Formats: sequence, structure tokens, C-alpha cells
Amino acid sequence: MFKLTTCTAVALVLASAAVAEKFSWAGTTDPQTMDPHAVNSAPVLGFLNNVYEGLVRRGKDMAVEPALATSWEAIDGGAGWRFTLRQGVTFHDGAAFTADDVLFSYERGSSEVADVRSWFAPVSEVKVVDDYTIDFMTTAPNPLFPDSIANFMIMDRDWAEANNTARPDKEAGNFATLNANGTGAFTLADRQPGLTTTLTPFAGWWDTAEHNITEATFTPIENPATAVAALLSGDVDMINPVPIQDADRVDQRDGTKVIRGIEARVIMLGFGHDHKELKYTSDAGEPNPFQDARVREAVAKAVNVDAILQTIMRGSAESVSQLVSPAMRGYSGAKADRPSFDVEGAKALLAEAGYADGFSFGLKCPNNRYLNDEAVCQAVTSMLAQVGIDAELEAMPVQNYWPELREDNFDMYLLGWSPGTFDHEHPVRFLVSTPNEEKKLGSWNFGGFSNDKVDELLPAIQSEIDETKRQAMIDEVTGIYQSEHAYVPMYVQPLVWGTRDNVELTQRPDNFFLLRWVTVN
Amino acid sequence: MLSYIFRRILQSILVLLVVGLVAFAMFTFIGDPIDNMLGQERTQDDIDRLRGELGLDQPFVVQYVKFILSALQGNFGVSYEQGRPVAQILAERAPATLELAAVSAVFALSLGVVLGVYTAIRRKGFVANLVLTLSLIGVSLPTFLIGILLIYLFSVQLDWLPSFGRGETVALGGWTTGFLTSSGLTALILPSITLGLYQMTLIMRLVRSEMMEVMRQDYIRFARARGLPERVITFRHALKNTMVPVITVTGLQLGSLIAFAIITETVFQWPGMGLLFINAIQFVDIPVMAAYLMLISVMFVGINLIVDLLYVAIDPRLRT
Repeated sequence: MFKLTTCTAVALVLASAAVAEKFSWAGTTDPQTMDPHAVNSAPVLGFLNNVYEGLVRRGKDMAVEPALATSWEAIDGGAGWRFTLRQGVTFHDGAAFTADDVLFSYERGSSEVADVRSWFAPVSEVKVVDDYTIDFMTTAPNPLFPDSIANFMIMDRDWAEANNTARPDKEAGNFATLNANGTGAFTLADRQPGLTTTLTPFAGWWDTAEHNITEATFTPIENPATAVAALLSGDVDMINPVPIQDADRVDQRDGTKVIRGIEARVIMLGFGHDHKELKYTSDAGEPNPFQDARVREAVAKAVNVDAILQTIMRGSAESVSQLVSPAMRGYSGAKADRPSFDVEGAKALLAEAGYADGFSFGLKCPNNRYLNDEAVCQAVTSMLAQVGIDAELEAMPVQNYWPELREDNFDMYLLGWSPGTFDHEHPVRFLVSTPNEEKKLGSWNFGGFSNDKVDELLPAIQSEIDETKRQAMIDEVTGIYQSEHAYVPMYVQPLVWGTRDNVELTQRPDNFFLLRWVTVN
Repeated sequence: MLSYIFRRILQSILVLLVVGLVAFAMFTFIGDPIDNMLGQERTQDDIDRLRGELGLDQPFVVQYVKFILSALQGNFGVSYEQGRPVAQILAERAPATLELAAVSAVFALSLGVVLGVYTAIRRKGFVANLVLTLSLIGVSLPTFLIGILLIYLFSVQLDWLPSFGRGETVALGGWTTGFLTSSGLTALILPSITLGLYQMTLIMRLVRSEMMEVMRQDYIRFARARGLPERVITFRHALKNTMVPVITVTGLQLGSLIAFAIITETVFQWPGMGLLFINAIQFVDIPVMAAYLMLISVMFVGINLIVDLLYVAIDPRLRT
């Protein structure tokens, strides 16, 4: 009888062990802060989405769904948005969530010292209607506003004020840099910057937990070979990313598997549109051929994107026709064709533009920013040589790369763009608009591409409520930058994650890893 | 004597200042931290503002003088990446590096001496020659490759030892130690072998050649003639006389164990100062890089100063 009970007890322990698990994962970058308003970067926001929540959140398919707000509607004919808040939500420390916390988080996130304040540029005023209703008034009708604040995370006013952290402090740090108090599915149990960060499930979470994790530990592992070894030896349950060259090995091994997808990031070539002269090689000082759209089109035709994807990306990525991937809102289905690979066509275009004998120029490229970025640039260089134009490739670490682009030191360059709002308007605003410091437009348009029609359409796109009309304008802008060949969009960067075989998870194109969808069998 | 010491200390300070100046001159080539600190939606205004706040718009000499002045007051600045005082971060990371270096030194010294003596005595033996050949391979392979090979064999294939990290640590005051937990101890094995392998072979070869030299001396022959057991001759009489140069070399090598732990720490994700430094380079975290480089140069300059002073103590000819 006693034996039987022991057996049952053991069986019970085993059974409960099977439904609840410790989980550990590794990524290349440690989130540099636990403050959701201090830094606007994917490692920080992705990690903190497990701890903090916004009024809205993105589901497995990236669609916006209710979170701390149960519903929202445009009010006064587009003058603002009214959010109805969820009742009975508590923060990790037990405090109740109310509209005042939203107001406080807005004030904190839109303050001068907050990195995320650009999200609130369209907001003119925030009004608390009652404890569970709040209005965000905008300077112009803003159909995208609820989409744009999916990463705007809500912090408790009393907690922040009691701990002297009513404003973020990125440079010197404060209490919220190392501690967190959100409403999300996990609480921050332990934080050792650069070493480990431990999360435990929040028992009082308002939503039904889909995961079966009892404790989750994140360790940054910078060296890709070490991360792969950690996964293969079972020391961690999941790594992001798996180096492309190791992906097949991880997939074929017993006990581990690879989860592939495509990221939101589009990799493209950019040109020095406003450079009168070439800046590099022996042709420096000659008139800049890339000011001629035919030459840019020749580049688009000369680059064999499929070959790059087959060899360098080992079949993991997809080619793309525009500045966003098909998974993004506002993707222009009507403009889905990209220039086909055509060496003869490229040569003909060059001859037509007066460069039958070719020319040489400088191509700038990062070597530690995007997946296999330098290898891609080398491939581009040899493909351009096929049509008679010689690129002198200079690759450098990203820390040196951005200052170089800002200084206009390039004839052609490589750029990757991940739209923060997951909408086509984002790259148009940052990459295609004429640079305008005052209006905060075109701040990554290093080449200075400029088109009056695009500049005229952008504000209209930003404030158009009607989806069909909006898409028509986006299609028009897409048509303009495609026919002008302002950029040569090449492919969407792949996502390659590795996990243990017994782990089920969801991979989103924004490369956010959310623990609430993880089950360990 | 006093003037000699004074002169040496002055020279050491000068060396430190020059190291710092060179370091700051290099930082201007490492890149720009601004893009790591600001998000995608930054504007030129943000960039200019932050650069002004951090003093990055000033020439590197000015930045360097500011760094030295506040360092003299014990303030090493705030990390760009973590937003915490650099001194605090370094203090948190130091135990990991120091424990790893200590275990590697013990490993290198003990195994190096034993193998050195063995290969000296059994000069023609098969095992001795095998050890010498293997040690040659160990010396010629780069550290990161040895580390990855060890991880592949003992973690991935055999699953005996952890592949990365420090295991569980116990906090004793401001010090975290991995010596008190079993996971902490097993985590030390692979990194300390990786880090200590080169020093081990160095000591082994040193002991071997010294030992072979000593074994030819007259007093060893006399000891044999007295009928002393071979074990006593080897370890009491011969080994003692080989230890002087070995101790000198080991002392000097301890500094390089700490400084060159960078690669080992990267391969094993060992949370020490070397890993911190590598991260700092990637982020262009100038305060962390500057403090680490100064710390390492203080250490080296300090060790050299002590060695110089010891020579004076030992060699009367220098005391003039």
C-alpha cells in the first residue's frame, strides 16, 4: 500500500514536471535596460514585451489585438482615439491599473529624455475621461495610431514615483533600469546586466496563460559557435539566431530543430542621388552616373537576387519588389513585380545612358550588421562587374558605417530597413521623403532622393482613414520609387531560430520572442 | 636606492599616461556609439545633443584629460550601454576573471611541473615523447580553437561538462564565487584548461630543461652515490633547484592570464572583465574600454615595478 502511494506520488511529480518546465534561452544581445521608455531598440522592446504590456498588442500574425484596452474607436471625426481600458488588471506589485497610469506612461514616454517619444509626435493632448476611459487627441486624423503604439508599455505611476523613476534616464540609469513592474505575463525575478535575466510567471495575469513555463532565464551569448554548442549540448532550450551555415546541422541533429521564417527587414542598395560627382576610385570627380535612373535600373537588372539567396542565404530568404515585405500593412500587391535578372538589358541601359564602356565607383557595406552582409556585397560587386561597372567594395563594422553614411562618404551603399510600425508608410517617411530635419522626414535617406509627388502624398497617406484610398496613394508612391529606382530592394532577411525538439513556440516577423506562446513538452 | 625606486615609479606613471593617450586616440577609430544609443527614429538633433552631452564632439585629447581628471577622483564614468557606473560593473565582473585566472595558474603550474619532471627523467620514454608532441600541438593551436574543440567534445558529444557560463555562484560580500557549488566547479574545468594550456606547456618545457641541467650536476651524482632513493633525489634535491626561474616566469605569466582571458571568456561566455571589454568594443562603450585598459596597464606596470624592485633587493650591484 505504501509502495503504491509512493509510486503514485512519483507519477504525479513526473506528470506535473511534464506540464511545467524551466526554460532557458540565449540571444546575441542583452537588453541594455529594463526601462520600456528609455531605449527604442528591438532587443529591449522584444524582451520587455514579456513583462510590460501596452494598450494594444500584436498577435501571432502581427495583427493588433486588445491588451490593456478592450476596445478603441476614432472620435470627433478623426480628431483622436478613445481607448476603453480593461478592468481588474493589476501590476506585478498588486497595484490596480487605471487610466491615470496610461496618462503617466504617456508623460514619461513622450518626455524629452525618452527614446520612444517619436511615437507620440502626432499626439496633441491626452485626456482621462474616467478611470477606464482615455482619449489620445492627434494633431491630424491618424488612422495608424493604435498600430503605432503596440510597443508603448504602461508603467504604474505610484511605483515609478515612489522609486524616483518618473522619467527614464538612459545615460546614468535609475531604479527602472534594473527593476520592472508591469502587467505582463511574466515578472522580472532577477536581473544581472550582461549575465542573466530571470523571469517567472505572474499569477495575477489577466489573460489565460498558454505557456507551461515555471521559470525562464535569458543569457546573452555573443559568440555564435558558443550559442550553437549550448543548444546542441542542451544547456539552453532556444537560441536566436542560428548562423545560416549551421542551420542544417542543427536541424538534422537528434534533439534540436530549426525554425525558419522571414523577418520584417528588407535589404536594399542605395545611391548617392544628390552627389554631383563620384567620390571613389579613379573615376572620382567624374559626374555621378547614378543620377541617371537608367543606370540605377541597370544595377537592378544586373543583380541576380535569386542567386544570392540560393548561395549566401542557403534558400532561407525571399526576394522583394518594394521597401516592405508582403507581410506588412500597406504592401503594394499591385506593384509586386521586381526587375528581372537581365545582363543584356542592363548593358543596353548603360549604353543608352552613355556608359557603354562602364565606370567604377565606391560601394560601402557593413560587415556585422545584417546576415552575411559583406558576402552579399561581394556578390553584388561581381555581378555588377558582369555588366561592366566596377564597384570598389569597402566593408566596415556598423559602428563606423553609420557615421560614414551620415558624412555622405559613398557612391552606393547597402541598407537594411525594418519598419517599426509594420506599415509601408514607415520606410516612405524615413527613406523616400526628401530629408527635412524640421519635419523629421527622410532621416535615413542618406542619398537624398527627392520627389515632389512623394512628399505631397506622404501627409495624405498619414491622415487618410479610408483604407482603399490610402492603399491607392501608397501604390502610387510605390510606383514612383520603383520606376525611379530610388533604391534596389533585394530580399527580406531570414529569421533562423534553433530550439530543442520538445519546445513549441511562435516566431513573429518582428523577431520578438514571446514566452507566453512557449510550451515545453 | 630610494632615488632608483622613485625614478622607476615616475617612469611607471608615465607609461600609464601614454597607454591612456594611445587608447583614447584609438577610440576615435572604433566607431561612433551614438547609433547604438539612439533608436531608429533618431533625428540629427538627437545625435548632436547626445554627442554634446557625452563630450564626443571634443578632440580626443580633451576627452582623455577629462577621463584622467575624474579617474583621479575615483570616478570612471558611466557605461554608455548599461547606464551604470563603470567601477561598479568592473567590480562585479572581476571575481569571474580572477577565479578563472587563479584556477588556470594552479592547473598550469601543477601539471606543468609534474610533466616537466617526468619528461626530464624519462627522456627517451614513449609517453614522455608523446606528451612533448601533444604539447607542441597545444601551443600552436589558437586558444579559441582549443576552446571550441573542448566544448564540442566534452559538452556536445559527451555531455559531461557545461558548454558556457559560470554555473551557480555564491555571493560572499561583494565577491561572487563559483568554488562553492558543484555546477560552479564543473563550469571552471574547460575554460581554465583552455586558458592555462599555453602556460602549462611553457612551464613544462622550462622545468624539463632546467631539470635536465640540474640532473647533470655533481651534487646529484653524490646523492646517487650516497644511495638516496631516486624519488628523494628528484623531488627534494633536483626540483627545488629548478624552481627559481619557474616561479619568476609564473609570476609574470599571471598578468597575461588575466589580460588574455578575453578570448577564453568570449568562447565560453564567461562573465568576466574580458567579455565585458569585447562587448564594450562592439557597443563603442568608451568609458568601459578606457577603464578596463587602464586597469590592465596598471596591473602590468605594477607587476613590472615589483619585479624591478625585487631585483634591487636581490642584486647588490644595482644599489648604488
